[in-house]
Amino acid sequence: MYAAKFLIQRRSPVFLLNRVFITTKKKVHDPSEEELLPIFQYPISKSTDRRVYVWGFAETGALGIHLPRGKKGKKSYKNNFKLVWHPMRSSFAERFDITNIACGYGFTVASIKTSEQHKVFGTGINTDSQIGYHSPRRNHPLELLLSYAPIYIPYKSLECEIKAVAAGRAHTIILTDKEGVYTLGNNAYGQCGRKVNVNEEYKGSMVTHNIQKLGKENIVDVCCGQDHSLFITESGKVYACGWGADGQTGLGNYDNRSTPTAVIGDITTEKIVKVASTGDCVLALNNKGELFGWGNSEYGQIPMATTQHQVNTPYALLNFTRGLGRIVDIAAGGSFCMIVNDQGDVFVWGFGLLGLGPNVQHTATPKQIPPTLFGRNEFNPECVVKKISCGISHLAAVTNNGDLYMWGRNRQGCLGLGNTNDQHFPLKVAIGAHVLKVACSVDHSVAVCKPFV
Amino acid sequence: MAKLCTGALAYKALNGLVCVYKPPCVTIKQVQHTIITHLCRDLNALPNGPQEKRVEIIGATNEPMSVCLVPNYADNPLACGPRFINEDFRCSWATHLGFFSSGVLLLGINEGTKLTYLLNTARLPRAYKLHGQLGKATDTYFWNGKTVERSMHKHVSREKIDRVVAHMQAAHQKAMYELSGVHMDSQTMYDLAVEGPIRPANSKIPVLYGIKCVHFDSPNFTLEIHAVNEYEKYLWTLVHDLGVQLKTSAHCTGVQCIRQGKFDLEYALLRKHWKLEYIVDNMNRCRKVLEENENLMRPISAVLSI
Repeated sequence: MYAAKFLIQRRSPVFLLNRVFITTKKKVHDPSEEELLPIFQYPISKSTDRRVYVWGFAETGALGIHLPRGKKGKKSYKNNFKLVWHPMRSSFAERFDITNIACGYGFTVASIKTSEQHKVFGTGINTDSQIGYHSPRRNHPLELLLSYAPIYIPYKSLECEIKAVAAGRAHTIILTDKEGVYTLGNNAYGQCGRKVNVNEEYKGSMVTHNIQKLGKENIVDVCCGQDHSLFITESGKVYACGWGADGQTGLGNYDNRSTPTAVIGDITTEKIVKVASTGDCVLALNNKGELFGWGNSEYGQIPMATTQHQVNTPYALLNFTRGLGRIVDIAAGGSFCMIVNDQGDVFVWGFGLLGLGPNVQHTATPKQIPPTLFGRNEFNPECVVKKISCGISHLAAVTNNGDLYMWGRNRQGCLGLGNTNDQHFPLKVAIGAHVLKVACSVDHSVAVCKPFV
Repeated sequence: MAKLCTGALAYKALNGLVCVYKPPCVTIKQVQHTIITHLCRDLNALPNGPQEKRVEIIGATNEPMSVCLVPNYADNPLACGPRFINEDFRCSWATHLGFFSSGVLLLGINEGTKLTYLLNTARLPRAYKLHGQLGKATDTYFWNGKTVERSMHKHVSREKIDRVVAHMQAAHQKAMYELSGVHMDSQTMYDLAVEGPIRPANSKIPVLYGIKCVHFDSPNFTLEIHAVNEYEKYLWTLVHDLGVQLKTSAHCTGVQCIRQGKFDLEYALLRKHWKLEYIVDNMNRCRKVLEENENLMRPISAVLSI
């Protein structure tokens, strides 16, 4: 008895020191502690807020993301990168309200909402002054811009608004609401809509050309192909100028045209609402949802009754697209065409990585990309494609949920999938916002998005 | 309902899959134990045939001996205990359901343990009702945790939840292809992708196939989720992430599994029905479902079958 008591007395202080809790049960917290916490109000975006995401090749400066690169003989910067693998938020878009954005070959042009002089900004390759004259040193104009710089345009009134921007291989078109169209950049084929001067030096050029009206009508939309330009007027007429070796000006010949001229052929009586062109093939859509095409047809983009590789007169593709429903959006790439109908079904034809699997390289008739690839299945039956866009060799589609799907040749990581492997079917791009519009070019892509909350 | 004559015969019939409704705040082990204990109780209550007799040869060895049958006390329940005990049963679950989750749970009894293994490897999609509340974040992501943050949630509307939730699901679209174990550039991958949702090749990473907001009454909301490889904590973090994306905070208030493959709440046995006759009946219903859907257990392709 005594022994036992002694033992307990001896052991108890030791036991207390080496106390081990066997239970993993958590301490019950006091609910009143919660009342002491502050109530946060996180910032909420306005409905007009936009975010711009960029990805692809960064070395041309077209992304407007400037990180220092290592110089010769010096250790390169730790974060030195050539490509942006995943969509990255552009800080330029955080400072200004971006209204329009366009991707050219290695450069990007964006217009902002402002009543001041600088309404349009550009970044990237500037060898032909397609993003204006920038010369920090006298007589040494920059040929490459790594971040956004304002483009000087002699507006007549600062009240005018930018309605649209378009960018081609080396020229830019800016559409304003009251002052017509301003063009700048390379005019070797007349794509700027002014007289071609063979001896003109485009590097460090300060020339901008203004086109007030075409055929006494206001211009409502513009589009740039590789080296040609297309204008849509109020009544739905299409005017074209520039390089015409493949018939992409649609004027019935293969000559270059330096003044915008009304396109002839099947579309003269139609009201055109949209034209699409990235390379040398042009697609046009009228207000009834019917398709027209002209230009390069080497891969069967504009299938006519007789095989013709260069279609110089707009041709109605009514029989070709029969049974596909009313077309709502169009896109023309370098060697393929894509349309989407009001049901949200996407059709492609032509040559290349069309999104029909690795075995399908070429299709002469419109083939539907299975909607399951855009996320339509028994869990999400309402998922449909709303908008489409094309680069030279890559394709993009935006669904009604604001998800962006991309596929095609992954040149310099322009698909934003985190690698440079070609993608044979549409794959979701990781963007943390509701995508509204996507612009693609040769090796970079830009998406305009709306924040969720 | 099947007529059960003797305990021994009933025991032989108890081979297969049962679908039970797991209540919250009970572990699966406890559910198994309760069901097996109830089965033993009910089996022991059934008439168990006559007691065994023991042959006894008595008498002196140098004289003719007499043979007689005497009651065998080794077979007497008073001596050797009840005829069926818990150790007579094997029991396993098809997929785990966490402590705080409730809902459909598939258990295999005796030979049915083989079925649960097959169901586990078939990776049937499970549907959940996920209840959450806005305005408060906890350290465990569940209601029982300590509150770590409070925030305003007046700006959250049904449309905003729908938009964020659709985006969260779409983020899994790419993961689905990557986890299928097929090379991205192959024609096989394309053929699979065209057919619809794909099952993951292993059981490591959760894949979401559908998220929907089915009820919103600020600050409470309910999500319906279809997923494979998910676990309780993952679903809680999902609610937390939703809160962050909605520029507020949120925690989970309840998880209910409403369907697994073809087995929905209609099949699930409530706790009050965890009795021998209901279990045998449920086992027959489950067997019928498995027979009707051959590829439920042995899927032919990697395409998700519901």
